Amino acid sequence: MIRRLGPDDVDYPAGLCDLEASPRVHLMGTTATGPGVAVVGTRRCTGYGLGLGRAFGAAIAEAGWSTISGLARGIDAAAHHGCLAAGGHAAAVLGSGVDVCYPVENRSLYDQILASGGAILSEYPPGTPPDKWRFPERNRIIAAMAAAVVVVEAAERGGALITARLAAEIGRPVFVVPGDVDRVASVGCNRLIKDGAHPVLGAEDLVSELELVIGPRRAAAPNGRHIPETGCDIETLAITWGLTLAETLVEVGRLELEGVVGRVGDMIVPR
Amino acid sequence: MYAAITSVTLVGGEARPVEVQVHVGRQQEVFRLSGLGDTAVREAKDRVRAAIASTGIQFPNRTVTVNLAPADLPKAGTDFDLPIAIGVLAASGEIPGPRPAVSVGELALDGSVRAGYSSLGAAVLSARRRIPCLVASDVAPRAAVVPGSVVYGVASLAEAVDLLRYDDRAPVRAEPPASQTTVPDLADVEGQPLARRALEVAAAGGHHLLLYGPPGGGKTMLARRLPGILPPLGDEEAVEVALIHSAAGLRRDPEPVRPFRSPHHTASRAALVGGGSGVPVPGEVSLAHRGVLFLDELAEFPRANLDSLRQPLEDGYVTVARRGSTVRFPSRFHLVAATNPCPCGYDGDHRRPCVCRPSVVARFRQRVSGPLLDRMDLVVKVGRVEKLSLGELVGESSTTVAARVMEAVRFGAESDGGRIGGEARRVLLDALDKGLVTARGAVRLAGLARTIANLARVERIGEEHLAEAMALRGVW
Repeated sequence: MIRRLGPDDVDYPAGLCDLEASPRVHLMGTTATGPGVAVVGTRRCTGYGLGLGRAFGAAIAEAGWSTISGLARGIDAAAHHGCLAAGGHAAAVLGSGVDVCYPVENRSLYDQILASGGAILSEYPPGTPPDKWRFPERNRIIAAMAAAVVVVEAAERGGALITARLAAEIGRPVFVVPGDVDRVASVGCNRLIKDGAHPVLGAEDLVSELELVIGPRRAAAPNGRHIPETGCDIETLAITWGLTLAETLVEVGRLELEGVVGRVGDMIVPR
Repeated sequence: MYAAITSVTLVGGEARPVEVQVHVGRQQEVFRLSGLGDTAVREAKDRVRAAIASTGIQFPNRTVTVNLAPADLPKAGTDFDLPIAIGVLAASGEIPGPRPAVSVGELALDGSVRAGYSSLGAAVLSARRRIPCLVASDVAPRAAVVPGSVVYGVASLAEAVDLLRYDDRAPVRAEPPASQTTVPDLADVEGQPLARRALEVAAAGGHHLLLYGPPGGGKTMLARRLPGILPPLGDEEAVEVALIHSAAGLRRDPEPVRPFRSPHHTASRAALVGGGSGVPVPGEVSLAHRGVLFLDELAEFPRANLDSLRQPLEDGYVTVARRGSTVRFPSRFHLVAATNPCPCGYDGDHRRPCVCRPSVVARFRQRVSGPLLDRMDLVVKVGRVEKLSLGELVGESSTTVAARVMEAVRFGAESDGGRIGGEARRVLLDALDKGLVTARGAVRLAGLARTIANLARVERIGEEHLAEAMALRGVW
């Protein structure tokens, strides 16, 4: 189901009010109830960057915040994956209509975001094709929705730098991973640091820094397994927890017997 | 001149002896038949007269009186033709002192013998009474499967007469029926790891199962595969099941595959639980005895019909009262029901919006929650296949799953069962205290956990078995 949200809707992402003429957005899925952090970076990233993106996504999710990114290949996808694996809320802001999955290779990611109770958002009406010129425009939505922006890897020019600049303009703190001075995928990052962005030294460091911006992280769930606020079915939980179905059933049953989670239909929800 | 020939009729899926008494008197020629027979039985007179004539024997031109005893038990079908004919010939001296035997079969006017529905019943009675039985030759090898029976196949009345005059033929050898039922394989089901697990647990413990989800998700496909993973019927069970089918006028050999019945939701109450005028006929609940009763589109079944399933579910038998007789049919079946989550079928689906009004959905869900829901130990959503990344259980064949189920059933039968470990007991009591489960729910949860422990071949119910039971229990 696609909904169109304006500033008056309760689940309109509050950060967008900081933009001039707060844009209406189209939504599939559910927006986060708490704050979110954007993790962005180049599509032409290194394996090192992918690993960091994933770790950041997971760390942010475990802290109880939503992970926002753009569903692009590379860093974006890694951050989404990390977030889902930790059972967090993932929000993807598209440069096409919400019903147009681009790039196509991220289709299963797109499905998992929806299935796990995440959000797919876009400023553009359903059916809008992914035109190149829309992506910089889309980046201002990512910047505004987030309480902070993390740039994992960025070349000298590119979307991630645009996101970082737009974020700084509306007063969002920008965190950047420093890299080798001669590595193409880190030139943009290092430049941002020189211009005054905060360097981050790993996932734990990132979360500590973010706590200063957003507030304290969520306490870990009893056994470290997170269930999204919006609920999640057992098979998806197995995927995001990285467990077999049998193990997942036992874990879910334990949480149910403790009264920590309940059911709404086939969805497991925190109580 | 008098003769009594043993035959058989099916009452409540059980073989009951019928004594065909024939008296040939001295008065003028007349042929009388008594003993609560239906039209087919009464018409036996014409067939018997013609068949005897065709065999080249003079039909006695005197008073012939036939009584089917017990005379107050309603009887149906054409299987009394052969014993009546034999009785007439014995009473008129054509077969002096026939040896005792159970005989059944319909006579054609040319004297040949055709199979009715009592052949298997005759074999059962043969085993019980330790006397041979005579049945139509084309079904004889199948009937001889009944342990302890001595079966002769006869193709014609002449052959039957020969057999009773001279004891010079060997009985037929049992020919185990080639299974006519092919059960589809679980390997055809893509994905659905959760539903597969639920099906396996249901099979291992005989738990009733509710599957719900959007159309095309594979609910029916899964249900149809349940007989393929259940332990096969034992010989006696197979005979019992086949007898019930015979009583309904359905042919089923005593084969090991468990029956699978899926009555349409427009089926009448009598069709479901049994009925019929005159001789009571078993319904779907009894045809599914020791097998699977599948109710597809559960919400479409009229409430009254679902209510009538209560007694068979609770007691394992169903009582059908008809004028003149009350009959009890066994009905120990494995219930599987399937339903959409709402009238349009797409409630809770994130790809396609549900178009039902909320009040309609609520009413729909209420319908399903009626009399049967509290019998369902397992409630599982069968979504559309999109979670193929869970590779662990995908594509397992029925043979593999059936082996595990068999092991679990055997384990459960050998262990003393029921014991719940200290840790599991504490967790369950805590959950009761917190009001997370009701007392009845706790009992059923423990039963489900017992089955899961059996599948793991563990004597004592552990906390992890209880936890899995809780997760699989599901809610509607």
